[in-house]
Amino acid sequence: MSKAALNDAPGVRQSMAWIHGWLGLLAGWILFAMFLTGTASYFRPEITRWMQPEIDLRPVTAATAADTAVAHLQKVAPTAEQWFISLPDARTTATRIFIRERPNPDPNAKPAPRRPELRLAPATGEEVTARDTRGGEHFYRFHFQLQIPHPWGRWLAGLCAMAMLTAIISGVITHKRIFVDFFTLRWSKGQRSWLDAHNASAVIALPFHAMITYTGLITLVAMYMPWPIQANYKDPATFETAVFGAEPDAEASGRLAALTPVAPLIARASKEWGGGTPATMVVRNPNDAAATVTLFQNSRDRLNARGGSIVFSGVDGRQLSTSPPPGPAAETSGVMLGLHTGSFAGPVLRWTYFLLGLAGTAMVGTGLMLWTVKRKRPNAVPFFGIGLAERLNVGAIACLPAGMAAFLLANRLLPATLQSRGDTEVSIMFWTWFGLAALACLRPIRRAWTETLAVAAVAFLALPLVNAFTTDRGLFRSFVHGDWLFVAFDLAMLATGALLGFAAWRAAQISSRPARSRRAAARPANPLREAVDAP
Amino acid sequence: MKGKMTGSSIANSRMAARALTAIVGGYAAAAGSVSLLARIAPIDRAEATIWAMTLSFLVYAGLLLWAFHETRLARVAATIWGLAFGSAACLWLLGPAL
Repeated sequence: MSKAALNDAPGVRQSMAWIHGWLGLLAGWILFAMFLTGTASYFRPEITRWMQPEIDLRPVTAATAADTAVAHLQKVAPTAEQWFISLPDARTTATRIFIRERPNPDPNAKPAPRRPELRLAPATGEEVTARDTRGGEHFYRFHFQLQIPHPWGRWLAGLCAMAMLTAIISGVITHKRIFVDFFTLRWSKGQRSWLDAHNASAVIALPFHAMITYTGLITLVAMYMPWPIQANYKDPATFETAVFGAEPDAEASGRLAALTPVAPLIARASKEWGGGTPATMVVRNPNDAAATVTLFQNSRDRLNARGGSIVFSGVDGRQLSTSPPPGPAAETSGVMLGLHTGSFAGPVLRWTYFLLGLAGTAMVGTGLMLWTVKRKRPNAVPFFGIGLAERLNVGAIACLPAGMAAFLLANRLLPATLQSRGDTEVSIMFWTWFGLAALACLRPIRRAWTETLAVAAVAFLALPLVNAFTTDRGLFRSFVHGDWLFVAFDLAMLATGALLGFAAWRAAQISSRPARSRRAAARPANPLREAVDAP
Repeated sequence: MKGKMTGSSIANSRMAARALTAIVGGYAAAAGSVSLLARIAPIDRAEATIWAMTLSFLVYAGLLLWAFHETRLARVAATIWGLAFGSAACLWLLGPAL
């Protein structure tokens, strides 16, 4: 519909349908990738654990993990400026530590090389080594940074999220039979089926889609919308202090003092948080008379993802300060953050999140399909970009999953000692994704669908096999040993492969019966016409 | 969907102006209006700031949709750019609170 057509029929539903269609198309391919990789990120620590099968640690209490980590740090970096300790929980089994060295007082000296993050076995404090990989962190980072240099990736993701929010609102306004369509799915009816599938996947999980889109914008609100802070504060640090509490004084005194034991501090913090556990411990100026220990609360047990923090003296364990209790606005935005990341979710809710995320992915995917199918009807006005849109659909919907499977396969097949192995895994994902999409352009469109979906299906089905041959944690052994993470991972890969295989089979059916499907597509649409059907 | 517009460069440039007003102007108007609200709301500064940031995307989405729904381009441009520059001017006159 052009602007002129808008003038002819300026009804809200028509204009909303027009916006919905164009926003959905322009942002759709990136949104599909954001939804799919974001959905996978609900299992971020689990994917990382699967990608480092040599690490098989048993969870311990936070206090034990903190004690062993501090003992390790006392050995390797007793005079560092700061120690960062990420304590393990039931999902992330390793302790992660990061050391910030004291800067050399000599201004001409070269800055000390940045120390890499290390992982420790929480029970012993010994360093754990495993194959280099980005793990689940890769999908997580990609879903809002899009592998584009900072800050452009985040801005592009934000723009697409804004398009998504607008598309959701305009989609709801467009849609007049929202409850009827909830129960409507007509298979093998060409465009009608894609519309039904789009409606069903959108309506079933509509509250989730709206929530996840809005809260996604909130996760990066300080970058996207810093202006209210600028309007109120000369120095943004004043705002940070008012909301999150003051950072402890970072100056070292230069006088030695033994670091207080940390386990009692954790016990006291836990009491203050009503049984909550710490996720992170930051020790500033360890073994100095001005040492402090800050504990940050784990968001696992609470809806508000921004937990409180408590600062203790690192010498005598006195409580120095506590983060201010959040007001209604801070609580709201913290809960929005928690709803997005789902860190509070137990196994059942986590799988629900995962399935709802897949419904969101399906909503975007079916919307993209509907867009092209509608414009390929014999009586449709020709659109010059239709060929490009179809190819991009193949590239996003079929080739991205193939790339994700290639990333996981590379993790098992690359030699463990390869230089910059983690980066190579990431490169393999993108080469597979874009390479397959480029190759698919050489094939007729219907064959391209079948073939790329089949490649993706085979890649996922191969994962459990490759895992069984390259590790000692194959499906059968994992089942016998009760290693449910590995069992669930392999089963999820088989299910994904089966789903993609089914899609390939459907695509092949349609391409082998072009006459029938063309007739189905050309049939006049249902008499109950939707605004989105308006020519 | 686009047949009637083909060949009409006036319609194309009007659509470009509308899109620019909606996306860039809409952002500026949303940012300006929520910042002004945050600045003058008679509640705690930090709380007002967070409410404004949290609600800003809803304001932006509303402006985006309205910019494409309202047929009179002049009205869209005047409202959105007026809101953007008007709120920015008020904020500049008020200066930061703290």
